[in-house]
Amino acid sequence: MNYLKRSRLYLVHKKGQSLLMLLIMSAILVFVLSGIIIQNAAITATNNVTKSAGTTISVAANRDKMFSQMRSSTAKTKTLTTPTVANTKIKKAGSLSTVAYYNITNTASVNASSFDAVSTTTGTSSMPSGGPGGGGTTASSGDITINGVSSTAHTTAFTSNQAKLVSGRNITASDANTKNVVIEKELATDNSVKVGDTITVKTTASSAKKIKLKVVGIYKAKTSSTSMPGNDPSNTIYTSYTLPASISGTVGKSSSVTYTLENSAKEKATTKQIKQIIANSSFSVSSDDASYQQLLQPMKNVQAFAKKIVWLVAIAGTIILGLIIILSVRNRQREIGVLVSLGESKLHIIGQLFAELFTILIGAMVVALLLGSFVGNKVGNQLLAQQQTTSVSNTGSTSGAPTGTPGGGNMPAGKTGGTLRGGMTNQATTSAANKKALKTLNTSITPSSVIKLGGMGLVIIALAVCLAAVSILRLRPKDILIGE
Amino acid sequence: MLTVKNLTHWYGKSGKPLYENVNLSFTADKVYTIVGASGSGKTTFLAFIAGLDKPQAGEIFLDGENIEKIGATNYRKHKVAIVFQQYNLLMYMSALDNVLTALAVTASQHKNDKQYVLDALKGVGIEEADAKKNVQQLSGGQQQRVAIIRAMLVDANIVIADEPTGNLDDENSAMIVKLFQDLAHKHHKTVIIVTHDTKIAQKGDVQIKLAERQFMVS
Ligand SMILES: Nc1ncnc2c1ncn2[C@@H]1O[C@H](COP(=O)(O)OP(=O)(O)OP(=O)(O)O)[C@@H](O)[C@H]1O
Ligand SMILES: [Mg+2]
Repeated sequence: MNYLKRSRLYLVHKKGQSLLMLLIMSAILVFVLSGIIIQNAAITATNNVTKSAGTTISVAANRDKMFSQMRSSTAKTKTLTTPTVANTKIKKAGSLSTVAYYNITNTASVNASSFDAVSTTTGTSSMPSGGPGGGGTTASSGDITINGVSSTAHTTAFTSNQAKLVSGRNITASDANTKNVVIEKELATDNSVKVGDTITVKTTASSAKKIKLKVVGIYKAKTSSTSMPGNDPSNTIYTSYTLPASISGTVGKSSSVTYTLENSAKEKATTKQIKQIIANSSFSVSSDDASYQQLLQPMKNVQAFAKKIVWLVAIAGTIILGLIIILSVRNRQREIGVLVSLGESKLHIIGQLFAELFTILIGAMVVALLLGSFVGNKVGNQLLAQQQTTSVSNTGSTSGAPTGTPGGGNMPAGKTGGTLRGGMTNQATTSAANKKALKTLNTSITPSSVIKLGGMGLVIIALAVCLAAVSILRLRPKDILIGE
Repeated sequence: MLTVKNLTHWYGKSGKPLYENVNLSFTADKVYTIVGASGSGKTTFLAFIAGLDKPQAGEIFLDGENIEKIGATNYRKHKVAIVFQQYNLLMYMSALDNVLTALAVTASQHKNDKQYVLDALKGVGIEEADAKKNVQQLSGGQQQRVAIIRAMLVDANIVIADEPTGNLDDENSAMIVKLFQDLAHKHHKTVIIVTHDTKIAQKGDVQIKLAERQFMVS
């Protein structure tokens, strides 16, 4: 182990040179570390995106099939019948481990009874509704749309801030089989209805039944261009999904459901599983991971770039260090000669060289870790900012204009064809939320990045020493005797 | 006993030999001096007997064993010690550490024995304070004395020196020659010294002259 002692004595004696080597090595390692940090951060961010991108799988009536059934119907008045699926099946699919949560949507159309519907300037209350969740179970329509959901908080209207609860509470899963409702503020003010009051609606069937509804919450809708004539957003009442089903006589069944995934990477497998569970050809099961893909791309770009940095710096560092060491070996020919004449093996001489570099590597690791997180942070966020700008401009030009209907927000036009708009998607909002979350990359140094850095450093000095070893091994012992 | 048998050597492809069929032997307790013109091949010869190079033809035996069989590194480590004209020491450590390094590398039983080394250095006039200084702060004569102590303390029985006094004044040269004589006569080593200096050459127990491609023993 004498070569370890020699390496120590050498480094201490050649303080200036050692310090210079420390600086060079630190510079190389700072770059390597920045690359590793950015790479790790991008990987973590990608995993987070994968988990939280909110890829959705919509189960809704197969429109083509619905229409062809209507045409082939022998009944005199051809009605568009929305197919239904048992809630037990929906729940079974919802309990898949890959599903984060799901939202059932049933709609029904009723007429106001104890109050007046909000009338719009452009239409009359008798016009058919085709708005959000258009697939009602009856062909005849009233002036009030009952939007039955599992949870109002998970509907697109609420997550996209098109609707916002202003008093009372949301409709949740525990409201199933109740007549609790959340109504719009405009409707409430016009009719002086407060939370806790009861309102009455009439069904649109020929023998109209009256239904008493309990107001548990009031929401405010952003009256935007999305409202259609005759369908003022104020006339949408949110209830549990069970109420529209009971109005249209399909108790225990539902017409559409949207599953939001725990992990976007499981999209294909889960779609298949859900298809198997629903097992109904009248339904189409379609997934939408556009926002996931859109978020994923910049992450992947950053990852790839960081990988390139790591490799480039590692290769450049190896070459630079190797050349420096080769030069120093030439200067140390005398010293090597003395050791060889003493009978020291060349392997031990190379070992001494390695030990010297290893000591410097340890010091450089400390310097790099002190500086690396700072540099990594700056570079990483710069990169991400650039990536997001390009990704936003990309989607703007390729995915086409938004459809302008609620629920269609972020979907590529092609995908909406097979599903009714009633199939709720959380698309637009989750992606917006994620973008915010990804504005900064987490560039903290983890133990694994320290290990990775140490590993890279070791490989770099090992390769550099190998380069130098060639020149040591080629040194002929006799040349040591003769010399200047 | 170190024996050189039928040694022939030439450099290059078809160059004429430096010397042919050299037969020499070196025994313990004696100082051998080799003189010869510049370029006659003295250093080349030392390289062979030091295990630093191999001749084109011929063999070298140590106590009957071919040194190729012993192995060059092993031979240098345990059998032979070399003193150069200069640059004998590792410049980044003290005289003490230089000798300790040699003892460690050669796996001597005295490795790590500082007092043993300090006493030996004191014997050639290098006090402890100087012994612990970086060797670059020592004079050429002092450095050469450290190299000789190093050759003395390692287990090697053959000491080879290539113009060990080349850079020293007469006074220092005389002191160095005295030390080499002690190595042979008191420490029972075989000492082989190459020199230009006829005064030093005359102090050898056996004087060898290399001329006209012949080693002549007198
Ligand atoms: N590696 C080599 N390749 C080719 N020729 C060499 C080599 N080493 C030495 N020579 C030649 O061999 C001859 C003997 O060289 P050597 O160094 O042994 O001489 P020397 O007797 O030690 O001389 P000096 O007294 O000047 O030190 C010289 O002519 C030299 O040029
Ligand atoms: Mg010479």
